[in-house]
Amino acid sequence: MQAFDCAIVGAGPAGMSAALALTQGGADVIVLDRADRAGGQIYRSASSSPLPDAASLGPDYAAGADLITRFERSGAKHLAGADAWHIGDDGRILFSYQGDTRELHCREMLLCPGAMERPMPIPGWTLPGVMTAGAAQVMLKSDAVVADGAVFAGSGPLLYLIVAQYLRLGVRVAALVDTTPRRHYLDAAPLLPRAWRQVGQLRKGLSLLREIRAAGVDTYRYAENLEVIGEETAKGLRFSISGQPHEVSADTVFLHHGVQPNLNMTRAMGLAHHWNNAQMCWQVTVDEFGQSAISHVSVAGDGAGIVGADGACAAGRVVAQNMLYHLGRVSRTGRDRNSHADLYYLSSMKPFRRFIDCLYRPTEALRLPRDTETLVCRCEEQSLGDLRAGFEQGARDPNALKSLTRCGMGPCQGRQCGHVVTGLLAQWRKESPDAVGYYRLRSPQRLLTVDELGRYNTIPAEAAK
Amino acid sequence: MFRSLQSDDHNLITLSVNGRSVKARKGQSVWSAMAVASEVVTRKAALSGNARSAYCAMGVCFECMVEIDGLANQQACLSRVAEGMNVSTQVITEDTEADAGL
Repeated sequence: MQAFDCAIVGAGPAGMSAALALTQGGADVIVLDRADRAGGQIYRSASSSPLPDAASLGPDYAAGADLITRFERSGAKHLAGADAWHIGDDGRILFSYQGDTRELHCREMLLCPGAMERPMPIPGWTLPGVMTAGAAQVMLKSDAVVADGAVFAGSGPLLYLIVAQYLRLGVRVAALVDTTPRRHYLDAAPLLPRAWRQVGQLRKGLSLLREIRAAGVDTYRYAENLEVIGEETAKGLRFSISGQPHEVSADTVFLHHGVQPNLNMTRAMGLAHHWNNAQMCWQVTVDEFGQSAISHVSVAGDGAGIVGADGACAAGRVVAQNMLYHLGRVSRTGRDRNSHADLYYLSSMKPFRRFIDCLYRPTEALRLPRDTETLVCRCEEQSLGDLRAGFEQGARDPNALKSLTRCGMGPCQGRQCGHVVTGLLAQWRKESPDAVGYYRLRSPQRLLTVDELGRYNTIPAEAAK
Repeated sequence: MFRSLQSDDHNLITLSVNGRSVKARKGQSVWSAMAVASEVVTRKAALSGNARSAYCAMGVCFECMVEIDGLANQQACLSRVAEGMNVSTQVITEDTEADAGL
C-alpha cells in the first residue's frame, strides 16, 4: 500500500499552516476537511463570504482569507467534504466522501480537530431557540443568517465578538447578560501586568466591550442562576443579580462560556489525555512539537488545548517541522532552528492566555447542572437526577454510568455531556477529573449508513503528486 | 426570528420543509434555510417526544437531525440545500418504533 507522506485532518488555522510548511519542506500532503471550503470554524467562509460587507466581521476574520488563499496554492491536496471517522494508529484513515467510504494511508498524521462550544446545561437549554454563540457565528459567516432580538448570555471574548458583529450589521440585540463573576476580575488582576506583553490582544477585547456599551445594548453584569423561560420553545431568559430577579424576553437565546477541545478523534485513537485545570477541560497529551505518545501521530491547534487562531497557526508550523524531521526532510537542528520563532511566540502568549483563562473561567454553576430535572445527556434524555441515581447504584466512572443510564450513548457520542459527566463524578467522588476519567470512545465518529460502507475506495498516494 | 442579510434574488432554489415550499440560496445549509423559514423544530427527542432544534450548528450536538429525501439522521447544519429537496422534522421516538412493530 503506497502511503502519503502526511495526512492532515482538519483545515482550520493549524491544519492549513501545517500544510503550507510541509509542502514547502517538500512533503506530499493530503488534507481532509468536512467543510466545503477550508478555514475551520474561525475562518469559515472567510474567502467566500456571503455577507454584503465581510469587513464588518473584523480584521482577524479578513486575515483568514489570506491564509486560505495561500493554503489553496500550496500544492497540498485538499479534499473538501471529507469527513474522517476512523483514525488508526497504523496510519490508516477512513472517511466519508461524496457519499462513499474512502481509505488512505500515511506515514505521518496530524490531527487538527479544533474546538467546540462548551455546553451550558442550564434549565431549558434543550428548548428550540436556545443555541450557542458559536452557532450564531456559523450562521452569520456561512449563510449571512442572523437572529433579530436575541439575548446573548455567558462570558468570554467570543460572546462579545458576536454581539459586536451583530451590532455592526444593524441586527437588534435584546440584551447581553454577562455571567463573569466579580471575583474573577480580582483573581485575574495580578496576572494583568505579565499579560500586558500582548497589549494588542487586550486592546481588541476592551474595544469590543466599548463598542457594545456605545451601541446602548441592555447589558447586565454579574448574572447568576440562568434559566431559559418557555414551554415549547424559548421565550426568554431569567436570571438574578445580587439576589434580584431579572427577565429578558427573546425567542432566541445564545449561550457561551468558552470553548473546549473537540475530543472524539484523539480519544477514539486511545491517546493519553489529561485534565487542564486552568481551562477546565480535557486535552490530549503531546510534547512541545505536538507529538503524541505514538511518534507518527501529532495534534495541533485548539484540539490540543485552547490557544486561539494565531496560536494554532504557530502550533501548526511547529508540528510541521517535527514531521519533516521524522520524514528525513530536515535535520534535527534544522527543525529546531525553523521552529524557534513560533515556539517563542507560543510561550510568550502563555501569560495572556493565563489571564484570559482566569478572567473567563467557566463557573461551576454553568458547567454543571443544579436542578435534578435539567438534562445532561441531550441525546438519551438523561437528567442530573437520573445520573445521580445511577451513581448511587454504584456507577462511579463515566463508562459505568454510560452502561447503566445510556448517558453518552446517543448520536453525539458524548460530545455534549462528556465534560459535564466528568465534572459531576469528580464532585460526587470528591476526586480529581483525572481520577474520574472520560468515556471510552470508538470509531466510527459519525453516523454511517450500511449503504455508504458498501461503497469502499482507496485513495492512492500518487493522487497527491 | 431568523432572517437573511442577503437581499439579492440570485441563486435561489426551492425545497420543501414539512410540506411547505421554501426558498433558499444555493450553497446554504439546510438548517439555516429551515431557520429563515421559521421551521425550527428539527427532530423530536427519542424518549419524551419533546421538540428539539439545532443547538451548535457546527456538527457536534446532533440535535438538528432531520429526514432528507426519506433518509433519516441527516444533520441539517452540515447538509446543503438542493432544488426539489424534501426535508422533514425527524420523528423517531420510542413510541413510533413501537408502532412500526420494531
